[in-house]
Amino acid sequence: MDQAERIDAVSSFLLQSPPGEINDVLNDVRNIIADDALLQEGILPSLREYNIAQFTTVDVPETNHQSIISEAARIVAEESEERFLDPRSKTTFVFDHLTLEASKPEPYELDTPHEEARVSLEKAALTYLASHFLDGTVSVFAPSELQEAFTLQIVANKYNPTNFWSGRWRSEYLVNLSDKRVKGKILLNVHYYEQGNVQLETTHNISFNIPAAAASAAPATAASKIIALIEDEESRYQVSLNETYREMGERTFKGLRRALPLTRQKIDWDKVTGYKLGAELSSSKGVFGSS
Amino acid sequence: MADLVDSMLDLMRRLPPTRTEENVATLVDLCPDYADDLLGSVDQPLRVLLDKATGKEYLACDYNRDGESYRSPWSNEYDPYIEDGTVPSAKLRKLEIAANEAFDTYRELYFEGGASSVYLWDLEDGGFAGVVLFKKTMTPATAQEPSGSWDSIHVFETAERGRQAHYKLTSTVMLQLITRRGTEPVVSGSEKKNPEGLRTDGEVTLSGSMTRQTEQDWPIQDASSHITNTGKMIEEMEIKMRGLLQEVYFGKTRDIVHDLRSVEDLEKTRRQKELQKELVGFIKR
Repeated sequence: MDQAERIDAVSSFLLQSPPGEINDVLNDVRNIIADDALLQEGILPSLREYNIAQFTTVDVPETNHQSIISEAARIVAEESEERFLDPRSKTTFVFDHLTLEASKPEPYELDTPHEEARVSLEKAALTYLASHFLDGTVSVFAPSELQEAFTLQIVANKYNPTNFWSGRWRSEYLVNLSDKRVKGKILLNVHYYEQGNVQLETTHNISFNIPAAAASAAPATAASKIIALIEDEESRYQVSLNETYREMGERTFKGLRRALPLTRQKIDWDKVTGYKLGAELSSSKGVFGSS
Repeated sequence: MADLVDSMLDLMRRLPPTRTEENVATLVDLCPDYADDLLGSVDQPLRVLLDKATGKEYLACDYNRDGESYRSPWSNEYDPYIEDGTVPSAKLRKLEIAANEAFDTYRELYFEGGASSVYLWDLEDGGFAGVVLFKKTMTPATAQEPSGSWDSIHVFETAERGRQAHYKLTSTVMLQLITRRGTEPVVSGSEKKNPEGLRTDGEVTLSGSMTRQTEQDWPIQDASSHITNTGKMIEEMEIKMRGLLQEVYFGKTRDIVHDLRSVEDLEKTRRQKELQKELVGFIKR
């Protein structure tokens, strides 16, 4: 493998990092490549890709809240330096994909025709977040040239390395007020690694119509109705996940291996070996040691 | 450079178990000098091969591999054929044949299907070692049906001490469960009504492996005692690990999901607690 291939290989490892473990994976990869200068230069694109895909959160300068690094937050500009937007504080900043810090904040003018609806959705989403997520972040983006819907993103992380587990909930909804349709997805990742490596990975796509009455209502009313529907669907998904767990436990798990044989008794090993083997093997007594 | 192997093993403990084979192959390409260390320490899903001589299925892993060929426990032949492939001594092969029969019975009783293989090899200090393998796969008839696989790898070493034998057992179980779901039928009655035009689909994958070790002493009468003894130990271990897997797969990971998001309204719970506190304070007064 030449250097470029080596960087490609470890980049794929970085992109597979479980929630909150990118630094651990980075340390392992550092040891494998054993060339910090080459590594640092080479892996920046995949760190950026990881942060954008995983909805990495960042403390927004001069505020007390966090915002989400994502494709929707990326400011498309001809500038040499890439910037990300926190719509809540109307600030853009430069993001360091290695240290996960924001710098050089600048005020950002948001597109006014959508701003009232966006703020309403953001307010309702923040209330929803406080009601159901223990450590969550939400960002709501107005429609752009690339995306005609409002984009609502939620991320919640729990990292517990002392007890060998971590988890991440991501959800994203495209709220299209002209089509009166919401399209979204929920992604869950859980890693449990005490004396093992067990991972839960789920994907769930959702879409539904926005009721005509809600779509034509005042922004605040429309927003709370839409967020209430999202809340219902996320809760319904979580409850259905319990059902999936039950089914996997009762059908798949039991189908793969029984807890006990049909007789409900452990195997009588003397019988299993005795019948066929006793005679055949008694002659070779003691050959496997000094006895 | 022992810590390079440590880093590779740490990596395998973190990356998705669904991609173990692909990631091990990449690591071997990255560090070819450490391929043997890695392949000897990372458990990979067992491959099911067909013994052409007997028509029976057997399992392939690093322990029955010689170069690119794998030895079948049923015919003792390597496939693809090689001359002078490593085989156990005649006496150990006798025990290997018996062990394969015994664990095949075990497989039928617990797995009701699947495949099993036992491979034994002589150790330099006079004892011997072996690996007992089981694999069962559930293939869905339709896309909506759940699928899954169970792979057990039990590696043991034994040394005889007079009428006793000392056993060291390392067991790994790899378990994968996948469920796909489409839009749930509308539940009438107490449930909230579905929004108009609701469409959902998704997939749930639980995958991983767990490893445990034990050391025990058991009495021996003759060579077949080794089958009885390892049989009891492996049965005990699999029962224990099945319980453990159940707890982690269906308990732990679910609890973590509920640590991320609560189905109950947290604000409401908070308000209720405050109200309760006030009431208690009021009554005390």
